[in-house]
Amino acid sequence: MNSSLPGGLNGRLQELLLLVERPSRYLGGEWNSPEVAPGGVSVALAYPDIYEIGSSNLGLAILQEVVNEIEGASAERVYSPWVDMEAGMRSSGLPLFTLETHRPVSSLDIFGISVPHELTYTNILNLIDLAGLPLASVDRRDGPIVIGGGCGTANPEPLAEFFDLFVLGDGEEVLTSIVLTVARAKEAGLPRSRVIEELALLQGVYRPADYEVIYNTDGTVGEVRRLDGSDRKPGKGLVDIDRWLYPRKPIVPFCEPVHDRLNVEVFRGCTRGCRFCLSGMTGRPVRERSAGEVVKLVDELSQITGHDEVSLCSLSSTDYSRIDDVASRVTKICRDRNMILSLPSLRMDAMSAGLAARLDKGGRGGLTFAPEAGTERLRAVINKPISEEDMAHAVLHAVRAGRRRIKLYFMIGLQTETDEDVLEISRLVYRLRDVVRRESLPPPSFNVSVSTFVPKPHTPFQWCAQESREGVRRKQDLLKSSLRSKSVNLSWHDRDMSAVEGFLARGDRRISSVIRRAWESGGRFDSWSEHFDISIWESAWEAAGLDPSLYLGRERGADEVFPWEHLDHGLDRDFLRRELERALAGELTSDCRGGDCSKCGVCTDFDTEPRLSGQWEGG
Amino acid sequence: MRSHEPLRLRIQLTKEGPARYLSHSEYSRAILFAARRSALPLGFTGEHRPRLKVSLSPPLPIGITSECELVDLQLIGYVPAAEAEVVLSRAFTAGIKVVFCRLMGADEKPVGKLIDTATYRVTLPEGYGAGRWRAAATEYIEKDRVLFERVQPRKTRTLDLRPGTHRLEVETDESAGAILNMTLDDGISGTVKPWEVVEVLASYAGVPEKDWKRAGIHRNGLFARRGEKLVSPMEAGAGRPAVTRRGGRRF
Repeated sequence: MNSSLPGGLNGRLQELLLLVERPSRYLGGEWNSPEVAPGGVSVALAYPDIYEIGSSNLGLAILQEVVNEIEGASAERVYSPWVDMEAGMRSSGLPLFTLETHRPVSSLDIFGISVPHELTYTNILNLIDLAGLPLASVDRRDGPIVIGGGCGTANPEPLAEFFDLFVLGDGEEVLTSIVLTVARAKEAGLPRSRVIEELALLQGVYRPADYEVIYNTDGTVGEVRRLDGSDRKPGKGLVDIDRWLYPRKPIVPFCEPVHDRLNVEVFRGCTRGCRFCLSGMTGRPVRERSAGEVVKLVDELSQITGHDEVSLCSLSSTDYSRIDDVASRVTKICRDRNMILSLPSLRMDAMSAGLAARLDKGGRGGLTFAPEAGTERLRAVINKPISEEDMAHAVLHAVRAGRRRIKLYFMIGLQTETDEDVLEISRLVYRLRDVVRRESLPPPSFNVSVSTFVPKPHTPFQWCAQESREGVRRKQDLLKSSLRSKSVNLSWHDRDMSAVEGFLARGDRRISSVIRRAWESGGRFDSWSEHFDISIWESAWEAAGLDPSLYLGRERGADEVFPWEHLDHGLDRDFLRRELERALAGELTSDCRGGDCSKCGVCTDFDTEPRLSGQWEGG
Repeated sequence: MRSHEPLRLRIQLTKEGPARYLSHSEYSRAILFAARRSALPLGFTGEHRPRLKVSLSPPLPIGITSECELVDLQLIGYVPAAEAEVVLSRAFTAGIKVVFCRLMGADEKPVGKLIDTATYRVTLPEGYGAGRWRAAATEYIEKDRVLFERVQPRKTRTLDLRPGTHRLEVETDESAGAILNMTLDDGISGTVKPWEVVEVLASYAGVPEKDWKRAGIHRNGLFARRGEKLVSPMEAGAGRPAVTRRGGRRF
């Protein structure tokens, strides 16, 4: 542990370490963790969940290295303390600290907090509070500038009160600009408020305080008005990942993280056009890393980390245009180093026998596929047209390659879904099981995970109502009664959690009072079933005088103004509306990788185009 | 480096500084990752999911430091022990240092099946005097049975610590104050945990929990007991010849 820097909390921290469940979460000093020099611009990069989850986040790992490579700047990690550590910190007056130097976060210049999903919102408030900072942005006169980023910033409005700024889209270039701006401002001795004003002008930065929201009498949003009267619209950052070859020194955690493997990103963005997928919509366009760089990174990083598994990660790795070539070359490296290759996001219609054979045969967790819906009709609605034949082939390839566990992800509560669609999930699983039986192959176990669909902003389903909790319960019961087999394990998401997620996903600024009340009532780790308590949220809704049905069970009008409408992720509203209409008509929209432009608006808006690896490598 | 019959590389490591807060599984993980980074010619088991052939000394509870943790790795090619020591030293993170490496025949008993005794040096909390602790140690040793209730997450059971306690000696160190030296069962013979002995001694000496918990425990030796003699696992032949009934080699 580096305790030589001023402000280090080492002595007080050590007293707590022997009292908590897993001290290694708070140690720092892991293999490849950076040596942080004092001075310059200091950045805390926080993930609002425990170390094991946060340390698997590739985005923060990339940003930490990017900042640490800037002369005169340093980035340190922060994770949510587990409940035992939080209790100890509060009782002993120990503020939130960084892992690298164990300095109080409040002593740094920038406090960047990842916003991965809605059920981390109370943890985000907890981080700000543990750092000793006022929760509301307007109450913070000094201390670090609090900046949010990540997937959750597609609609940051429910958190607008608590953040000084948000970074939209890819963070590499934006954070670099932020750090350089803060460095100049520090040198010039500018006050905090002026620095924030300057940062708000950067491309990819959104300052909530620059806007006011006007509400209609029926509770819907009437207008999100820019206070300076200009028509400037904050747009997302977009980088070419072949120019940002990070991370180059991945930290190897002491404890086992949720994704215990070397992650090498093969592309960013996805244009398959699944209509429910927030990342697929806001992450556009596809930007592939060249095959040579992918293989080089695997080669170098596996040596300097010691991992025994490498994962080629993206939103849908089998879509990578040179996947066979890269998988073949990476498999050779794996063979030489006694490693295995895994692909975390597999499409069933892109699973070939050759690819299956290259994947880890022992299978740490089996193979995971996401058919999403039980019928071809419903899969057309969500624009994920995987045929049952493709599914059968994928399962057979997986079993022939030695896999003994197949995990299948489905959703219920999708638009136009009927009971028949739900029951067809069970029948589909049985048919896939029988396909394996007919081939006399060793029967795998099927783990069927069923989540509840939550309509997200910036997707074609942003206009749609979310299935009621009662409706979800009924559909879950249908599945429970129809899917009973020794070889099938069924699991489902907590419908109350999905309701809270949906409420926050398309919420407006008034929601901030609900989040604050939930946190004040002890809301923490809401994505953890042992900590989630719906009564906390129900009381918070009631106390705030907000009706959750305004956000959940209501079909939005075609012209309704959304709370996130003023943020530019490049997608044309007309495109999204068109996609909704096509969804309801069961019409498919093709992937623009093949050259068939769906006119989503991103390429025009950002003056870019999809970049495929094969385009410049002769593939 | 030339091809060779498999060898056993026995490594003595420290667990100090931040590493003392690692659990046994985390410490083991750090060793395995370091071994892979070292690029030594290591032996693996399994075809589809290769795993390092490794054997580890008994777990050390969180918070206790050590200068004598042991790990055996299988080498499938000859590397001089000194070279292995250099290569491994570069691969470990803070608090884990390579003390010593030794090459042994693959038929040597692995450390996981060899160690049965550990020695500890405990820096006792100030303010109670060595005499008080010495009297407590004498009281402990003179008992036929020392019952202790071991509370674990899933069960609580009462153990007799006395048979597994072989030596308790209190000395006075000019700089560190009262020091307790202990020799306890650890490993294949069963385990007497050092904190349990300190807790019992503190109860005899009337030292409150807030104070005895400030004791600093350090493991300074792991051994194989041969009658009254403690044999270092670094000595060749410390274990019995490791030949199985089928005549194959153990690892």
